[in-house]
Amino acid sequence: MRCSKRKLISPYIDGELNEDRRSLLESHLNGCRECAQEFEELQKIHMLLSGAEPFEVPHGLPTRVLANIRSKGKRRSADLGHIFKTLTEGFAVLVLIVVGIILGGFLSKTRIPERGNVVASLSLDIFSPAPPDSVGGVYLAMTEAKN
Amino acid sequence: MVNADKADDLSLINRFKAGDISAFEEILLRHQDKIYNLCRRMLGNSHDAEDAAQDVFLKAYQNLNRFKPESSLHTWLFRIAVNTCIDYKRKPFFESLFKTSTEGDVFVIERPADSPSPDRLYESKQIDDAIQLALSRLSAKLRVVIVLKEIEGLPYDKIAEVLDVSIGTVKSRISRAREELKEFLKKFREQK
Repeated sequence: MRCSKRKLISPYIDGELNEDRRSLLESHLNGCRECAQEFEELQKIHMLLSGAEPFEVPHGLPTRVLANIRSKGKRRSADLGHIFKTLTEGFAVLVLIVVGIILGGFLSKTRIPERGNVVASLSLDIFSPAPPDSVGGVYLAMTEAKN
Repeated sequence: MVNADKADDLSLINRFKAGDISAFEEILLRHQDKIYNLCRRMLGNSHDAEDAAQDVFLKAYQNLNRFKPESSLHTWLFRIAVNTCIDYKRKPFFESLFKTSTEGDVFVIERPADSPSPDRLYESKQIDDAIQLALSRLSAKLRVVIVLKEIEGLPYDKIAEVLDVSIGTVKSRISRAREELKEFLKKFREQK
């Protein structure tokens, strides 16, 4: 079973305990061998990590960052230009389609009466009285005789 | 001192927002050390760290107009850096170098066969290798809190702000990270 004060060790090392808890833990560490050992181990890790030397920033990093920002900016404006061009082309195609539809509609409207005449004349030709000798003529003569 | 730094940062941000692009260069020079070091400790090598640091400043440049003056620029940049480094870990190439440990989405670097034991490193001048090796054993979640605490020296409340978690979570993660590091060092001592 772990000592209940053990959880205070890590915040104690980080200086994150209030005065009361700090004093409580300090007096506890004098009497609890398990916690004293844990404190020693964690303190070593803390010393190892907090004593780490900072890395030097690679030479020319700011220049590369700024160049990267500029090139991204150029690419972005180039991208915007491309998007604008594509949209313009798309719009032109759309306009052509709409104009085509309107013209098509207009032309078909003007031709409908002519087509109606043709259909009517064809119908009249088809239903013109059958010659008396034909099968149709005989059928019509028979039906008329019945009526 | 901290307040003076914050005031300087705010003045640079205001200049940038007013259209003075050179103010960003000053921001970059002021914060490059901290950001590069955070990326270096998180990613473990200089190449990825430089790429990540460049990404951090590019994102900062693109979003600086949306920066809220009530937050600290330092904390804001650290937040971008942490997220950028975590995204780097998700890259397939990065994943191929790392194996999945027992913690699920945790990536653990393999210890090179010819590297000295941590016990020797622990007491030798190769302290930096020991630190990097030890950090590489931790999950990204635990590594980031320990780097922000031990190496960057941030207090718990600032770490909580960077990671957008509670102070209690920071406290428990730091504690867990130290426990894992302790176990790792103990195992290597036993192997010796």
